[in-house]
Amino acid sequence: MSDYRRFYRQKSIGPLVILFSLFALPLALTIQSGVWEEGSFTLKRIVSAILDPYTQRILLFTLKQAFYSTGAALVIGLPGAYILATYSFRGKKLIKALATIPFVLPSILVVLGFVMFFGNSGTLNTVLMKVFDLDDPPLKLLYSLGAIILAHTFYNFPIVMSIVATAWEGLDTKLEAAAATLGSAPRKVFRTITLPRLIPSIVSAAALVFLFCFNSFAIILVLGGGPQFTTLEVEIYRQARMMGDPSSASALAIVSMLINGILFLGYAFSQRTLTVTETVAERAFEERKPSPMRTFFILLYSLFTIIFLLGPIISVLYRSFSKGASRASETTFSTTWYRQLLGFEQSSSHMGSALTALINSTLIGVAVSILTVTLALLLSVSIARRKKNSSFLELFGMLPMMTSSVIVGLGYVLIARLLRPSLFGTYLLITLAHTVIAFPFALRTILPSVRSLPETYLHASYTLGSSPQKTFRTVEMPLLRRTLLTAAVFAFALSLGEFNATLILSSSRIVTLPVVMYRLIGSYHFQGACALGSILIITSGLAFFLGEVAKGDSV
Amino acid sequence: MKMHRFVLGVCITLTIAFPLFSMGAQKEQPLTVYAYDSFSGDWGPGKEVVAAFEAKHDIPVKVISAGDGVEMLTKVIAEQDHPYADVVIGISDEMVTRAYRADLFEPYHSPLLHEIPEFLHFDSEYRLLPFDYGNFAFIIDSERIPKEDWPTSLEDLTHPRFRKNIILIDPRTSNVGLGLLLWTIHIFGEEGWLDWWKAMKDQVLTITDGWSGAYGLFIEGEAPIVLSYTTSPVYHYTYEGSTRYQALIFDEGHQATIEGVGMLRSSKRKEEAKLFIDFLLSEAQLPIALANSMYPTNMNIALTEGFAYAPKPGVSLRMESEVIEKNLDRWLHEWTEVMSR
Repeated sequence: MSDYRRFYRQKSIGPLVILFSLFALPLALTIQSGVWEEGSFTLKRIVSAILDPYTQRILLFTLKQAFYSTGAALVIGLPGAYILATYSFRGKKLIKALATIPFVLPSILVVLGFVMFFGNSGTLNTVLMKVFDLDDPPLKLLYSLGAIILAHTFYNFPIVMSIVATAWEGLDTKLEAAAATLGSAPRKVFRTITLPRLIPSIVSAAALVFLFCFNSFAIILVLGGGPQFTTLEVEIYRQARMMGDPSSASALAIVSMLINGILFLGYAFSQRTLTVTETVAERAFEERKPSPMRTFFILLYSLFTIIFLLGPIISVLYRSFSKGASRASETTFSTTWYRQLLGFEQSSSHMGSALTALINSTLIGVAVSILTVTLALLLSVSIARRKKNSSFLELFGMLPMMTSSVIVGLGYVLIARLLRPSLFGTYLLITLAHTVIAFPFALRTILPSVRSLPETYLHASYTLGSSPQKTFRTVEMPLLRRTLLTAAVFAFALSLGEFNATLILSSSRIVTLPVVMYRLIGSYHFQGACALGSILIITSGLAFFLGEVAKGDSV
Repeated sequence: MKMHRFVLGVCITLTIAFPLFSMGAQKEQPLTVYAYDSFSGDWGPGKEVVAAFEAKHDIPVKVISAGDGVEMLTKVIAEQDHPYADVVIGISDEMVTRAYRADLFEPYHSPLLHEIPEFLHFDSEYRLLPFDYGNFAFIIDSERIPKEDWPTSLEDLTHPRFRKNIILIDPRTSNVGLGLLLWTIHIFGEEGWLDWWKAMKDQVLTITDGWSGAYGLFIEGEAPIVLSYTTSPVYHYTYEGSTRYQALIFDEGHQATIEGVGMLRSSKRKEEAKLFIDFLLSEAQLPIALANSMYPTNMNIALTEGFAYAPKPGVSLRMESEVIEKNLDRWLHEWTEVMSR
């Protein structure tokens, strides 16, 4: 019997070696480039990076914006969590589904949607100007700190909402009922009974949002501006690409990794306490009708969520079909951007490379999804079929999540400097970088399903005389097909929308969908960017939809 | 088994398709030209110039947008050992030191140089040949700010009435931004220029990485004043018949800039590259001048009516390359120091 364990153990060797070289090698190069000078070890660069007042200011700003953004996301997200956990009402499902949007929406699309919706000539201002008959846009939200925080809030409050709501729904209401019976006022019940049990989930959500905002890249790159509104990640990119100084970038990357490590440990710790949950037979929803005031509040909040989550996306879709004769004139319906995109119509500028970008992104996405799913499947079965639960391997698989994608990109820039790849080689490096980034997500999708497969199935198969090899192929694989498909689609969507690592890796010859979108946004060719963005929206939507379907079907 | 076969099929297709896509570009072996974003961008002259050149010489040309000037230069230097471009368009005189230091360009004494006035020959070794020039200036949206309120000097731009109304460009990544930095050093001197920038922090809507971004924002109506060139109104008059956007002329003077084109030492297509450079210095001069909103360097080019809308500055300021080379790193460091506070 033990030979099947060996079979699975051997399965892990390949993916481990590959993962190690895909992830640890670029990381090691980054660290080496940060601490190595003329053949000897030195902390000079890191120390001078930390002591440089400019870096300190960047770091301070990075922390400041992440702190404010997290606070704002909590303020807006927590009431939502309360509503979702307490009341059942029409449209609740819709809101829950919408709350997953930030998880599947690529960051470059968030920025584009944000500008299209909140910008001076965006949807919100246009509507307000029409309604109140104004000459000037009333909401000047774009640029500087305010815009960054707003964009982060809009991107992250659903995360707070869904994480806390899920935890809240898992709380046993009997405790509250008991407290109420003993004569506590509802306010006191909430403060002394409910809130303390929610704290771990709130901390966990806050840590996650803080981590996201700390590593935010595309949003800062487009909405920030100048040295005053620069974060660590953007500065790493500037140093590496615009100033051509990868060593300084590496020193900054090491600083960033240290801070990320601390944040991630905080998050992991809060996760651990979170797993000590109560087992509830059934969550009793307050079936009583909410008071008119509360109904109004629920309605208002739902409306707010729908507008702010769907508004930017719809604005992008809408703008992709509009065209003005000149930049200032009224716009009319037009499919010209799509025709340019597909190469039916001659186009100048970056739109000319849109079709190539679409093809490249699709090819890379398919390759990434095959590679990622294969690796994640092999690692998953070897983790799950071990006698002892090996959390070490699992942790190893999750490691890429601890570094930001900008830093993964930087590592691959350093590899590219060593290898001097051809154009094809560069695309290959991008594919590998995407694989590293997508891998933890694939592992998280596949591993639980593998664990939930009863091992008795395998034993039955062995008893009937099948080899481990055959059992793996004919019993396990078919049972896991749906999960694998979900993971594959997810990896594809991640790769398609991956911007940070790709941008830092890309030379002028490399074009992928998000990179071309960024260049279009950079030259204020918004309609073209919206046409490309719409394609991303549709793919992300499809990935999301398939994921939901698979979730619904799985055992 | 089916699954396996499918995966195998996809893998094979990918392995074949991947190199195909990269080869597709290489098969024709076009002359590869790096240009700053605004050259090949939406409003740029790139398309027209390239089409005319291809028609005349039957040499395919591929223009690649390589970011703003400074970013493009960084890119070329980074790719030095693995060169890709043959010709680089738009290294301006204020950022040449890095290009010379890296020994990127091969001298080319074009026969057309004698049609270009002596004062524009910024590189005595002719590694870079001047193809257009102009002066930096602030452009104002006359529909947003009435004429009596227009600023009359750099100092005037710090007035509270322009709060959040100005778009500037980062001198670390853009030659236009660098131009303004030198301009302020000319006007306020070493002791005063940083104070001006400090005061401007409340005035700017944002500082963009490149000119394209800044000017795009301006046209979108995000702010009524932007850093650009005195010649920018020419574009709007010529292509849109509009005089809405006007250049602000300051009596204290305007920083000048000369943009050069050069042929990389590493190029394997030097003959074609020379033809292209000659074309830029002759037939392409007018389209470049119009769409790029710059003055043509070739004296034989007659300016169009639109150039009447480009006011000539009374004083044109230039800084010696040696001075720039000696101080630039320090200036940029001081600038970053002040602007990140």
